Amino acid sequence: MTAQTAAAHAQGHAHGHDAHDAHEHHHYTTTGLDNRKVAVWTFIGSECMLFASLISTYLIYKGKSVIGPFPHTEWTDPAGKVYKAILDIPVTSASTFVLLMSSFAMVLALQAVQLKGKPLAPTAGWWERLQRSSQFWLLATALLGTVFLGFQSYEFTSFVHEGLTIKTNLFGSTFFTLTGFHGAHVTVGVLWLMSLLWIDRSRGLAGKNDELLVDICALYWHFVDVVWIAIFTLIYLIK
Amino acid sequence: MATIAAPTHAGTAAASENTGIWSWISTVDHKRIGTMYLWTALFFFLVGGLEATLIRTQLMRPNMGFVSAETYNQLFTMHGTTMVFLAVMPLSAAFFNYLIPLQIGARDVAFPRLNAFSYWVYLLGGIFITVPILFQIAPDGGWFGYAPLTTTQFSAGPNIDFWVIGLQILGVSSLAAAFNFITTIINMRAPGMTLMRLPMFTWMSFVVQFLLVLAFPPITVALVFLLFDRFFGTTFYAIAAGADPLLWQHLFWVFGHPEVYILILPAFGLVSEVLPTFSKKPLFGYNVMVYSGIMIGFLGFGVWAHHMFAVGMGAIADSIFSTMTMLIAIPTGVKIFNWIATMWAGEIRFTVPMKFAIALIAMFTIGGISGVMHSSAPADLQQTDTYFVVAHFHYVLFGGSIMGIFAGIYHYYPKMTGRFMHEGLGNVHFWLNLIGMNLTFFPMHFSGLLGMPRRVYQYDAGQGWDTFNLMSTYGTYLLVVATAVFAWNFIRSRSTGAVAGNDPWGAATLEWSIPSPPPEYNFAQIPEVTSRYPLWDLKDPAKTAGIEHSHADAMTITDAHAVPVHEETERHTARELGIPMPFPTAKPLFTAVGMVVMFSGLTFLRYDMFAVAMTVTIGGAAMLIGGLYAWLTAPLE
Amino acid sequence: MPKLRLRAAAPAALLAVALLALSACGFTEYPNSTFNHTTDFNTSIDNIFQTLVFWGTIVFVVVEVALIVTIIKFRKRPGGPEAKQIHGNAALEITWTAIPAIILVLIAVPSARTIFETQKPAPAGALKVQVIGHQWWWEFRYPELGIVTANEVYVPVGRTVSFELTTKDVLHSFWIPQMGGKRDLITNKTNYLWFTPSDTLETMAWNGFCTEYCGASHANMRIRLYTVQPAEFEAWARHQARDAVFNPAAAPAVPVVPAAAGAPPAAADTAAGWMYPAEKLPAHVVPQTPIPAGLAYDDALLAGGDAARGAQQGFLMGGCIGCHAVRGVPGAVSNIGPDLTHIASRHTIAGGLYRNDGPTLARWIKNARHMKPGSIMYTIGRGEYDPILKTTQQAGLDDRQIADVVAYLMALK
Repeated sequence: MTAQTAAAHAQGHAHGHDAHDAHEHHHYTTTGLDNRKVAVWTFIGSECMLFASLISTYLIYKGKSVIGPFPHTEWTDPAGKVYKAILDIPVTSASTFVLLMSSFAMVLALQAVQLKGKPLAPTAGWWERLQRSSQFWLLATALLGTVFLGFQSYEFTSFVHEGLTIKTNLFGSTFFTLTGFHGAHVTVGVLWLMSLLWIDRSRGLAGKNDELLVDICALYWHFVDVVWIAIFTLIYLIK
Repeated sequence: MATIAAPTHAGTAAASENTGIWSWISTVDHKRIGTMYLWTALFFFLVGGLEATLIRTQLMRPNMGFVSAETYNQLFTMHGTTMVFLAVMPLSAAFFNYLIPLQIGARDVAFPRLNAFSYWVYLLGGIFITVPILFQIAPDGGWFGYAPLTTTQFSAGPNIDFWVIGLQILGVSSLAAAFNFITTIINMRAPGMTLMRLPMFTWMSFVVQFLLVLAFPPITVALVFLLFDRFFGTTFYAIAAGADPLLWQHLFWVFGHPEVYILILPAFGLVSEVLPTFSKKPLFGYNVMVYSGIMIGFLGFGVWAHHMFAVGMGAIADSIFSTMTMLIAIPTGVKIFNWIATMWAGEIRFTVPMKFAIALIAMFTIGGISGVMHSSAPADLQQTDTYFVVAHFHYVLFGGSIMGIFAGIYHYYPKMTGRFMHEGLGNVHFWLNLIGMNLTFFPMHFSGLLGMPRRVYQYDAGQGWDTFNLMSTYGTYLLVVATAVFAWNFIRSRSTGAVAGNDPWGAATLEWSIPSPPPEYNFAQIPEVTSRYPLWDLKDPAKTAGIEHSHADAMTITDAHAVPVHEETERHTARELGIPMPFPTAKPLFTAVGMVVMFSGLTFLRYDMFAVAMTVTIGGAAMLIGGLYAWLTAPLE
Repeated sequence: MPKLRLRAAAPAALLAVALLALSACGFTEYPNSTFNHTTDFNTSIDNIFQTLVFWGTIVFVVVEVALIVTIIKFRKRPGGPEAKQIHGNAALEITWTAIPAIILVLIAVPSARTIFETQKPAPAGALKVQVIGHQWWWEFRYPELGIVTANEVYVPVGRTVSFELTTKDVLHSFWIPQMGGKRDLITNKTNYLWFTPSDTLETMAWNGFCTEYCGASHANMRIRLYTVQPAEFEAWARHQARDAVFNPAAAPAVPVVPAAAGAPPAAADTAAGWMYPAEKLPAHVVPQTPIPAGLAYDDALLAGGDAARGAQQGFLMGGCIGCHAVRGVPGAVSNIGPDLTHIASRHTIAGGLYRNDGPTLARWIKNARHMKPGSIMYTIGRGEYDPILKTTQQAGLDDRQIADVVAYLMALK
């Protein structure tokens, strides 16, 4: 770190000695990164192990179910009833696309908060204005996340109708637990986004501290998204 | 996510030197939380010790009939669970809490309220998992809880429920604490306190936090599977569904082996503080000590299946895990040699903490050697699940972790309380402890190699084990006496011990530059560190003349308010000094209660009380969410 | 610091003495020792163990001596030299990294060799024995010989025996310390273990144990292994392969041997075959578990036991066949409990926990759960309290009927 940035940092450090803007207040840190950001990275490291364990279990138990229904193949039960392959790849591809788009919206949401400090040219078009609407992009992210959850509940319901529950076989147990855990993470993310949206509506998100609030939410959201890519590839696409 | 800070009220110092019960309930001060960890963990250490005493009494003679098979199985399960999760880990956590901020020159941890939350979750989780033994419905599946024995098919009672749920609760506590300490160590270091200047205890703690963060998720997942199997009828460990019980073993030991290093590395860190202090010499090979600690942590993730040599993994896997396990002996051996070299050419003072630290080297070496013996898979086939293994890991955990923690307690007691522990009683404790430990565990090497299996509540006479078992039991009684002496000393010295100053031992690190006990704000002025031994630089520059000193380098940022390292002797309140302190708050406790209530609702499902279960769980969840909301929207300081 | 010297020297001396004692340890004193070269498997393991002990002792002595010398030599003395401020030494660090690494190579290479050597498939011509774990007893099957038995396994000396290990319920582990290492019984998995008892072994009895915690009576799941001479094995196996020697369907419902006090009734097949002679059993394989207090049975009743009546009214109608098989008896094919076809040719019952004799059997039948915690065999004695169901058995057998069943079982030579 150069002396310049060091000085800049020392300035940022206020510690109640100097009058300072409440929004800009943050503690001196060794790395210059906010504590919350470091903690979220650690948390994501831990979450990686969580999903790695869940995904490994799915893969270990792949093909080990003694009765169907099965993910990629048809199964006929002793009574002669035929159960078709459970996984519906086209539908899940659509929901995957939705989730990917939500990550895109999340990027723009963060950008919107960061752009707020910069003056908007009077000639700015609708896109420049929309770019600064953090509310719009937060809402869009949350909505896309909700749509993804809608797809998931549709998927779960139809699987149950087709005869696969969490109790049916190893496939059912591992599949519902893995995707259920992911769905729970998306749900938490949506609630998080809604809280940010609520803060944005009540007092407006702006400034370094608020950028950080959105930034760490975005970190989490992208992580959850990346996990889904792994799940989609390993569970749905690879037969 | 402890501090979504809203506007702060600069200069409002609310935390003060109160001592009422409320001041403890609402505290977010890392030192007070550390103290609570210490007392709670010592209490659970006594509980686990009592369980061990009952176990040893039952095994004193063949076919003893002192407790029933069911009770015995609960006792050994809870002895293991208590000692690992409720005693040794939290004893380490007590030191993490108390020492890390002091050693790195910080005023608190990164997230003080999250820290309080970790403690309360630990306390409540500990109570949740311990109380059932009073009603003889304690967990009885072993601390390792191997499926399918722990599934409802073979354990239909509520016993295992307490274990599964209790460990989940305790896992939350450990993870939250680990995020907190990693952030603290990365981000809260005083100016000049580069990573390679961190005191060795902080370094080893740093490694441990990463182990926690990476090792707990696998066991969380394993426990979630078991919980789902037990309550919701999933098939993860269901025999009829074609489940593979080795799934549990792999997930458990992917956690379980790093856990071993989670238990031992903090003790290594503590003796690495004690040995240089009482040898009047810097730690020998600091860099190598750091790297070997990291290597131990790293390799710790690649050796889990050495707990599974008997399960039939095949020759290739057995060979790989054998070799990997042997590799860990290298960095561990390096530590031992560096400690000895630290004492070499020093001026060794045989204080009580120093004796415990030396005992760690001597005893851990024995545990390390027997460890290498069962890293060899063929030899392990004769040793695993026998008393030889019991001997091994007690040499590592008692001779290592507990010795190190006792060294730490005697060493840091003056810092925590301002008074010394009684030296004479400390010596009695030390010798009784050392002799008792060897009398208890050394004979187990023999009973194990002579064919005695573990986890048996009775055995026939004439198997060649009688004398060894009798010796072990007498050794345990000696340990009971030793622990009683310690407890008496620990409690009494708070009021009667000789008064200690800032730096009673002539140590080198920052925590000794401030008054004992430290004021709430720790450092009135944040010191700027220029070497690994700031206090020796100050008091005895000749000692550190040979090493590189530097001011803020590329890794650090000069703090506008940092001052050169100095001794702080005056005691003020934070308010007088204008230091903003976190508000005391009971919200973390409220949130912790909510979480534990939420989890405990599940136990009612065992009795088909669906409505009660839902009410309790939803009620707990509401408390949890409400508490979190109140917590996150309230300003920290 | 004489105290210190003593402290650290004591374990070292103890270790050395103990190792000497153990390497020469007598069989009678340590009947479950892992150090004897009784089989090829255990010889391999003991060889590697001796290597480990050799290097372990060297490391132990080096470290502890270095430690003791250091703390004595550099203890603080008035007027002593000041501490030398040394921060490290790269050459030393490399040395004490490299030397342990070399020692580990010397351990790792023979370890890996032994792993591959002991885990290769059993040689052709090995005697095949299936080991099936149950909570809490062992089922042994000799598929090539048509033998099914429990808790006691016979192997001929000089011939490789290959165990195929499976479990009916939870995990168990099969271990006979004198024969070699253990192998777990894993649900939904088949494991293998083989060894060759040295052909110089005398006919001998050995203890074995379950070494994977498997629930309430994990401690009560024991094995007796008999290494016998090939001719003895032949005689034993020939008899064990037969159907039950006492067939209630063929026998009249009157006492076969009137009023012969507890003597086994003459069976349809008088050839009792060969079994390990009871009088030659070494003390360490004879179970010593005390029968729990409060389990009363009048042993005098046993003399009046009627085997045929016991078979028909007790065994067949009293519910025993719900769990137990007796080959040759129609309907008695269940595999929940041990096969009783030749139960009288076994020395132990209840997973090796008790002696197999009339009085013990009677009490076992009366209230197995009182005698073995968690036992799946429910309480049968009328009026007895079942500690698992927590009820009193209202139906069941009275003491006289139990005597009949005992007589029948004792007839199953």
